[in-house]
Amino acid sequence: MTPRTFTKWLPAIVIPAVIAVGALAVPLTAGAAVDLPDKTPEQVLALVGTSTVDALSGTIEQTSELGLPELPTTGPSASANTGAASALELLTGSHTGRVYLNGPDNIRLQVLDNLAERDLVRNGSDVWLYNSKDNSAAHLTLPAKDAEGPDATTEGGMATPEQLAAKFLSAVDPSTTVSVGTDGSVAGRSVYDLVLTPKTTGTLVGAVSISVDSQTGLPLAVEVTARGQEKPAFRLAFTEISLGAPDASLFTFSPPAGASVTEQALPDAAALAQKDPADPADHATQKAEAEKFLAGVTISGTGWDAVVELPAGSVPADLSSSPLLGQLTTAVTGGRVISTALVSVLLTDDGRVFAGAVPGERLQAAAVGG
Amino acid sequence: MSPSDPREPAVTGPAATGPAVTGPDPSGPAATATAVARPRGASAAALLGSELTVLFRRRRTWAMLAALAAIPVLIAIAVRLTSSPVTPGRGPAFLDRITQNGLFVAITALIVSIPLFLPLTVGVVAGDTVAGEANLGTLRYLLVAPAGRVRLLLVKYAGAAAFCVAATLTVAVSGALIGAALFPIGPVTLLSGDTIGVGESVLRSLLIAAYVTVSLLGLSAIGLFISTLTEVPVGAMAATIVLSVTAQVLDALPQLDWLHPWLFSHYWLDFADLLRQPIDWTSFGANALLQGGYILVFGALAYGRFVTKDILS
Repeated sequence: MTPRTFTKWLPAIVIPAVIAVGALAVPLTAGAAVDLPDKTPEQVLALVGTSTVDALSGTIEQTSELGLPELPTTGPSASANTGAASALELLTGSHTGRVYLNGPDNIRLQVLDNLAERDLVRNGSDVWLYNSKDNSAAHLTLPAKDAEGPDATTEGGMATPEQLAAKFLSAVDPSTTVSVGTDGSVAGRSVYDLVLTPKTTGTLVGAVSISVDSQTGLPLAVEVTARGQEKPAFRLAFTEISLGAPDASLFTFSPPAGASVTEQALPDAAALAQKDPADPADHATQKAEAEKFLAGVTISGTGWDAVVELPAGSVPADLSSSPLLGQLTTAVTGGRVISTALVSVLLTDDGRVFAGAVPGERLQAAAVGG
Repeated sequence: MSPSDPREPAVTGPAATGPAVTGPDPSGPAATATAVARPRGASAAALLGSELTVLFRRRRTWAMLAALAAIPVLIAIAVRLTSSPVTPGRGPAFLDRITQNGLFVAITALIVSIPLFLPLTVGVVAGDTVAGEANLGTLRYLLVAPAGRVRLLLVKYAGAAAFCVAATLTVAVSGALIGAALFPIGPVTLLSGDTIGVGESVLRSLLIAAYVTVSLLGLSAIGLFISTLTEVPVGAMAATIVLSVTAQVLDALPQLDWLHPWLFSHYWLDFADLLRQPIDWTSFGANALLQGGYILVFGALAYGRFVTKDILS
């Protein structure tokens, strides 16, 4: 190859090289070291408590590597997935969503699926759910009391954020080490990294890390790492966030023409909580059912390696006989077990269910022992 | 046909009857050479003009555009003639919306044609750019002027890009027309469940057409490069089309997810983000960046190959 020929080929060598360097450098600069003034875990928690952000719009990305097979998201079977299966689908694989928030009363969540979208719009006491895949909308009305704002942040009486932080830390102290990790940046904002590490080795959870915005105290990312793993098994993080009130038209929703609209009653748990006087008989039976259900639930152990036991018959028959469950579970002595990176669930042959952030063997031991 | 067209004889000659005919028209090369011998600025414009004229006067080009225009027509007629309503979630996305709103015919047709039909036609045009001229024996006459090769390469790429625009708009416009003819037209429901008026929906359709056009530019650059490698246009066309299918197959394999953001076909179907409220521009930007990268890399490769190539025909 003559030198003259070589110069002609130079762009073909240089341009890919520049692109490769750029592609490697961009994630590096995004994760560049951030140095914030040091804070104790208590101060970071107090920062979260003082957070006053109530209006934002942002993009959230969720990735899960729980070791579960990915459920089909396309094809005719995907739209047939309802209830538990669709909730499972949200937990496996990766999703991108957008969130718009203006005060506690105006919320819009969008799950951006491939060529489709699922929406949740709350405007005061009106809540709309919309699924573009089958063009269906569901409406429910929140009771007036709820509409005032059941926000957890408003509860807690007179305690200051600092007191709450101290209280929380002392409460978790027996089971968990709370520390502040390396400062980083999430969605272009510098964050403190609050790391919760279980003290016990009996749990599958290695660490939970919460990234707290250094300016506003808003949690911007949550990562759960399984024991002995480098990459997080579950991550939910903002990739983009802007503070400030979003366009008000985002919170007004009326079902599109041609959509199938269902009016939904409130779920049982919410009906219980609101103590609706309008229908006492119905309410009483619901309450009795819920109490009966709760009475059967036992929790053995405390902290991270606790095991929850549900009595026989608490799993609907159609779920336990579904072929999907057969694919997800593996047979063990005494039942079938679903093991993921973070959580194990044991379905015993006699119908009881054991679950916990512990290895499957511990659940089997609990099933035999209990 | 205007008398100023420098390559007019080539149009009426073998090129118009398709690639199977190989013998150059005796008057074609001479006429082309006079065009290139003009001053540079004027000649670049003339070269582009003649390139576009040749491209869009070919029967092959018209046949491909007609085939693309037929896709939305077929979809619309099939849906119209079916008595039972389309079940949501079955068939291509948005198919069930067509009966309510004819504007969705264009979007459904674009979704159907993106994986195969559009890459097929773009592959034919881009693969033919340089190899076609070499095959006809007209290439050396196009290159008599100094520094003519870079300019010729740019003009050839511009021609292929113009075809991308034409192909996408053909599907979109034909879809909108047949949809308006067979179904009611009204406010459009977005993926988010919000409703927009007809005017804004036309705007969004144009945005989608722009998105799809941009999506095809990377493939055009690949086709241009492959076209400089060979003198057999059919080979370059086939290689380009095979690459576009291969990229989509690789994109469907979850085991290769590290590779997916680098595949030129990765964002092809993400134009649905333009149908959300508010519009999500992330995929538009990512797609444009990716296609730009492909244009740069394969443009540089095509440059390296074309300017160092011994042109004998």
